[in-house]
Amino acid sequence: VTGGAAALVAVGLVLPPVARSTHVLLSLGLGGAGLISLGFGLVARRSGTLVLAIALLGSEQAVWFTTSSSLDPWTPFYAGGFLLVAELAWWSIEPRARAWIEHDATLSRAGSVITTCTGGTLLAGLVMFAAEAPLRGGAGLVLVGVVAATAALALIAVVAFRGDVVERTEELVGRDD
Amino acid sequence: VTRAATPKLGAYAVLAGAGLLAALVLGRPELVALAAPFAAVLIADLGLAETPHLKAVFDLDRQHVLEGESVQAKVNLTAGRRVARLELLLNLPDGLSTEAPNPQILRLRSRERRELKYSIQCDHWGAHLVGELILRASTPLGLLVYEENSQPGEPLKVYPHGEALRTLLRPLETQAFAGNQLPRTHGEGIEFADLRPFVPGDRVRRVNWRATARRGEPWVNETHPERNADVVIFLDTFAEARRHGESTLDHAVQAAATLAAHYIREKDRVGLVAFGGVLNWLTASSGIGQLYRVLDSLLDAEIFLSHAWEDVSLIPVRTLPPKALVLALTPLLDERSARALLDLRARGFDLSVFEISPVPFAPSPEARLDALAYRLWVMRRETLRSSYLRLGVPVVEWREEAPLQAVLEEVRTFRRHARVRHA
Repeated sequence: VTGGAAALVAVGLVLPPVARSTHVLLSLGLGGAGLISLGFGLVARRSGTLVLAIALLGSEQAVWFTTSSSLDPWTPFYAGGFLLVAELAWWSIEPRARAWIEHDATLSRAGSVITTCTGGTLLAGLVMFAAEAPLRGGAGLVLVGVVAATAALALIAVVAFRGDVVERTEELVGRDD
Repeated sequence: VTRAATPKLGAYAVLAGAGLLAALVLGRPELVALAAPFAAVLIADLGLAETPHLKAVFDLDRQHVLEGESVQAKVNLTAGRRVARLELLLNLPDGLSTEAPNPQILRLRSRERRELKYSIQCDHWGAHLVGELILRASTPLGLLVYEENSQPGEPLKVYPHGEALRTLLRPLETQAFAGNQLPRTHGEGIEFADLRPFVPGDRVRRVNWRATARRGEPWVNETHPERNADVVIFLDTFAEARRHGESTLDHAVQAAATLAAHYIREKDRVGLVAFGGVLNWLTASSGIGQLYRVLDSLLDAEIFLSHAWEDVSLIPVRTLPPKALVLALTPLLDERSARALLDLRARGFDLSVFEISPVPFAPSPEARLDALAYRLWVMRRETLRSSYLRLGVPVVEWREEAPLQAVLEEVRTFRRHARVRHA
């Protein structure tokens, strides 16, 4: 179910750029390749193929963005859609045994996906709102962007590493409760 | 507790990084908007990730059970923090199964206590350690998993299911202690044996007044004393034949448990020798305690592959008391055990061989060469069997569908005829 839903949402993401882009063949090619990769990744349950699929779908969007002269107001919804595709796709390839699943657990998981995607859409909206701010570009602003992007990635790495250290320490002192 | 990243973590990091980089290269803010949710998911889930502090306590309602019965188990789960998704697996050893949902996926609130009940079916005899729980908790957005294994701590002994026997094999010789066996000798006892003329010193209460009146002189009754016997169960653990989860060793262990229980009930002393790659023995003794010792030793019986040559000289002398009845349970698959049994007979032990037939366990031959090999194998077994019979050792082939009582009767018949022939 989750895999089918992911594919359906992905098709919904592929169609608008194809319909509006001036590079129809390129958009169609990238979108089609993305969908094929997604299908293969879901069937073969391979995370790397899913990454490639979403990257290809994103490239199709990027082609549309670069050829467009103005900011696309639907971008936050595309962002939410991409996150939804990713959440559903990775949900469907999770290693699973034949387990009895508590009804609450499934509902909670579905609620978590919806909340995450809604939050992602709002965040993308904020980014777009900031992008529309009447600030003049230049080397300084690009530098700020580079620093912000690097800081975001560094923050992710630090948070992941910090957790790892805490965990290893707990193992060393034998705190297992 | 071990923490591991799911494939989703790396994938989201790559997507967020690639999106931000593409935005910088192409100079399009929309790509930042596409990448931002992935980065936000990473930061939120990793930043809020905490060890769930799960505690699971496993409890069994009893620790001794018969094969085929079930035992009730409880798992008390406590979560220190909210767990959105908890995978719980009760890892049961071979021979045990449960119809309760296993594994389960649950959701626990903060400080919630949950009691899960399992009905564990004991399908196969054996000594098990039960209660290994594998707990895997995911972070709310599923980027990390915390896994914890609790070691099995509850011992569960599943005893083989015994068979009801009406009569047992009588030993040729009995021991000096009181029991339920009737020796061929005469002495103080209850069971009538014979009549003889009165001699000075005989007690008056032993006078048979009817015989005295008929013969005109005093005659007395003679009786058999009640004695016990020493029974040694010889379990061949060198090799087994196995098919679909059952083996010759299973039948041997079930027969051994049945014989031990019945002989101990008859006040006989029972000992055990598990003769195989690893030699286990239990000196002969009587009583309910000895029965449990024998059963516990049987639970440890296993086939241990060894190429070392072993013979009966390795068995401690006290384990094989003189005049003991030795009941050998063997598939006659290994030459070492076959030789050891012949050796026991040569040493004068009262030996009976129950051959747990491996023939039904062998696949039926299809190719012509296989059929030839199969026939040769069966003929070789016949030859081995006849070598025992020539020495006066009863060898009875026991197929899986036959009751143990029938096998005992066959041995008894052989012994009766053998005795007539020698007389």
